[in-house]
Amino acid sequence: MSQCETIQESIGRWLDGELQTADSEAVRRHVEGCPDCAAARQRLEKIHATLSGLLTAQASELEFAPFWREVRRRIDEKRSWHEQLIEWAQSLVTSPRLAWAVPAAIMLVLGFFSLAKWPVGGQVSNYASVESIDTHGRNVALLRDDKTKTTIIWLYQDPEGENENVEEATKSGPAF
Amino acid sequence: MASKRQDLVELSDWQLVEKCQAGDADAFQVLVSRYHQKVFMVILGLMRNRDDALEVAQETFFRAYRKIKSFQGGSSFYTWLYRIAVNNAIDAQRKQKRNPLDFHETMDGLFEARNEVARDPFADVHDRELRESMMKAINELTPEHKAVIVLRTIEGMSYKDIGEVLGCSEGTVMSRLHYARKKLQDKLSAFL
Repeated sequence: MSQCETIQESIGRWLDGELQTADSEAVRRHVEGCPDCAAARQRLEKIHATLSGLLTAQASELEFAPFWREVRRRIDEKRSWHEQLIEWAQSLVTSPRLAWAVPAAIMLVLGFFSLAKWPVGGQVSNYASVESIDTHGRNVALLRDDKTKTTIIWLYQDPEGENENVEEATKSGPAF
Repeated sequence: MASKRQDLVELSDWQLVEKCQAGDADAFQVLVSRYHQKVFMVILGLMRNRDDALEVAQETFFRAYRKIKSFQGGSSFYTWLYRIAVNNAIDAQRKQKRNPLDFHETMDGLFEARNEVARDPFADVHDRELRESMMKAINELTPEHKAVIVLRTIEGMSYKDIGEVLGCSEGTVMSRLHYARKKLQDKLSAFL
């Protein structure tokens, strides 16, 4: 790649002010002394000026008052009471000051139900059950121990695909 | 009332955003007056038609108003606003592609508004052809390439800010800009 090609690859970034000072200075010096690269710079500047002029001319004719009236109309019209309610609820949930309240509320609810099922000072009891999941002998066994507050969920397959032993398994509990 | 408006005009974007978040619609009006032309220009650069661009610009401010409570100031307000504008424009343009407008119809609308005093008739014809070819060339770029060149040209945004608006890296902005400029130079070589 010739020096001019390298410089012309960088002219855009140079005009945008995105080159390091030393590189920027090197491009500037080369462009000032090289007619081809100076022409490349002019082409880019003409593209920029044409596009900018085209859009600026359009935007300068845009009047603020009717523009704002239409924005305001949308704001007033589209905010029905249920939308406002949803927005209020969303702002409550997404507010950084209240963000901690969501996990805290979940923990409280879980804690409440946990206490309801595991009564403090109540009679200690163990619980076990076995349910068949499908007709192919797959079962789920649930064992809960009040003393250690441990729940074990055990998935297993009855090799015979039968459930005759379920009652036995319930009585003796799963073999670990 | 006029005094309040004068006070609002002197506030920074972030101060106005805070007032909007507290429910002050007048503060939002000041933000709209500050940015409506630039947002419109960006959208017009991305879309084919002036009326469509106006519609999308108004919808952009409406959506910004609805989302302003979630704006935390992690980026500048205008970067955040342009992100909404570009996303809206790209969405609208993709919908348009399924239902394309006649190119000449849209271009006529775009150039009729320019009320220039006639100078050299040859220069006028040349300029008009250049503008038409420019819009045609811009419209042939992908929405992503259009967006980088429009944001850079209109707002003079840094690559970092453009990356924030478009959700891509500075390197991606740089390569897209380079590609878009090369394409435009190729398409407009007869005029440059």
